[in-house]
Amino acid sequence: MQIVLARIDNRLIHGQVLESWVPSLKANCIVVANDEVAHAVMQKLLMEAAVPRGIQVIVDTVDAVSELLCSDELGDARVLLLFATAHDARRAVESGLVLKKLNLGNMHAGSGKLQCSCTIFLDNDDVVDLEKIQACGVSVTSQCVPSERETKWSKMVMKRV
Amino acid sequence: MLEVTRLTLIKSFFRLFLLQASWNFERMQNVGVLFVVEPVLRVLYREKDLQQACQRHLSYFNTHPYMASPVLGATVALEQMRANGQEGTFSVDDFKRISMAPYAAIGDAFFWGGVRPLAACLAIFFASRESLWAPFVFLLLFNLPHLWTRLFGFIHGYQRGVSIVELIQRYRLPDVAIRLKEAMVVLLGGLSAYLVVGVCRFEQVPTPWAFVALPLVFLLVFLARKGTSALFLLSTVIVLIITLFQVVKW
Amino acid sequence: MTFINLIMASLIAVICGLDRTAALQLMLSRPIVAGPLAGLVLGEPLIGLQVGMLVELLWLGRLPVGASIPPDDTQIAIGATFLSVAFAAPDFSTPVTIVFCLLVTMPLAKSGQFFDRMARRANNHLVKRVEQNVLTGDLSMIAKLHLAGIGHFALAALMTFVVVAGVGSLLCLILMPHFVFWLVAPVNWLQLTFILVGSAMILASINVNRATTLFGASFVGSILMLWLL
Repeated sequence: MQIVLARIDNRLIHGQVLESWVPSLKANCIVVANDEVAHAVMQKLLMEAAVPRGIQVIVDTVDAVSELLCSDELGDARVLLLFATAHDARRAVESGLVLKKLNLGNMHAGSGKLQCSCTIFLDNDDVVDLEKIQACGVSVTSQCVPSERETKWSKMVMKRV
Repeated sequence: MLEVTRLTLIKSFFRLFLLQASWNFERMQNVGVLFVVEPVLRVLYREKDLQQACQRHLSYFNTHPYMASPVLGATVALEQMRANGQEGTFSVDDFKRISMAPYAAIGDAFFWGGVRPLAACLAIFFASRESLWAPFVFLLLFNLPHLWTRLFGFIHGYQRGVSIVELIQRYRLPDVAIRLKEAMVVLLGGLSAYLVVGVCRFEQVPTPWAFVALPLVFLLVFLARKGTSALFLLSTVIVLIITLFQVVKW
Repeated sequence: MTFINLIMASLIAVICGLDRTAALQLMLSRPIVAGPLAGLVLGEPLIGLQVGMLVELLWLGRLPVGASIPPDDTQIAIGATFLSVAFAAPDFSTPVTIVFCLLVTMPLAKSGQFFDRMARRANNHLVKRVEQNVLTGDLSMIAKLHLAGIGHFALAALMTFVVVAGVGSLLCLILMPHFVFWLVAPVNWLQLTFILVGSAMILASINVNRATTLFGASFVGSILMLWLL
């Protein structure tokens, strides 16, 4: 098994992931790590309906996903891993999941969140989480779709201040 | 029993065509959604309730502009139930929140990834023969499924409410999209071959030379997959061709 | 080329530009439609058609998904059509002028992304105002504020057209006398290059297994048919 992309995207499975990232990375397995969705039957069904056959979809809680990815269960799948929030990603990394790189896709606005790039809005908790993740040796970058340029996370935080 | 009249629904339907007028980075289509459902809310709620309903619809929302039709059709149905005191399995906001991304994915794959390139490919065949039918062919092929989705998506969404989701599962549009893309790739191969052979004949180059174009296209695909931009590839090839012609002349 | 022509072309630029995101989305914004439309108001629909055909495939694979904004091929098609009509010279065939104008305008597609982003930023302020209005219970302004976004997008489209047509004209004036001769001999091959690069861009971005195999088989099969029949 190989994690071809780990991404924080509050929209989870949507067009950017399916139409841009999946073909460009030749991923064949999408893993969604989200506690809320793991228990929401209807949302799970909808997500699976949006993905063409031939691509496996796994939706589970953050803990279950990091356990699954640390084991050898997925064979030689090319995994695209999705988190909804920086906090979930931090939990996964701290529970032993090894990532080389973390991609920031969409983190939408909320109260107290400041805009760092077109689609990324962070509050102080997010910044702390992402710094912790980076301290674990993960390189954090932002890139919406493969055809866009990659931006280093440290550059974005500077912009925020 | 409050019921939305047909006239109000028609008004909402036409407002769907302007859904993205105030698209913004912060909440994307949120004001657009409020704009679409506003006529309905005005029928269902009064004063303080109306204000609260409007506020609810200002939350983050973004989906494919055509697939917003079924989502908002169902949203209208849910609002009507809510105004009449019937709470279904889902609140209006939960329904919107969980359905926007999957519907967006389906719309992107089907319309942007499938129908649009297919229609464009066919239209280019017409354009290459200098036929002014090309834009009409493109518009017709693309807009039949588009307008059908908008209209019946909205009607079905309103009639079925949350169970519109089952309809989406039954059609398996993501799989249909893959089929359309495969058809498009085959057509694109034919189109390229047709144009290459055409130029070869015009320039009196023997037809078998047309095969040379294939490895060239594959090389371009390889470079494009590596992240080279269309503009860079195009200008490089054009400079190479011009140089080649100058060298041959000299 | 008269002043009326220029106004008409700008009008088409705005209408097609709005179709990209803000309104309708009937795909009037695709080059294959926008080009001939611009050509029509300038009295040369066939020039627009050729321009549209050449640009159509190049950025077709760049989808307007979520917040990502593709290069503005609409204004390139309209701008290049405008320039091709304006700079048509009897010394050169129409395809030569078209290829030259396209090469000059295409690098300007990025300006469209810039203006589009500005319009969407400007819309952030509309959202704030709508939120305030709803909070205070004033609901009469929702529709007006929402539709004000059309103004932002229209301005972005117009600005892009002005940049593409303006900078394009300047480049044509300066570069055309020196470089256009180079395009004369290979012009048919250059036109073909646009289509082939476009096909390659689509093949590179599509999520179909074995897309290149399918393409190759179809390509070879078609050539054999055209050659032997």
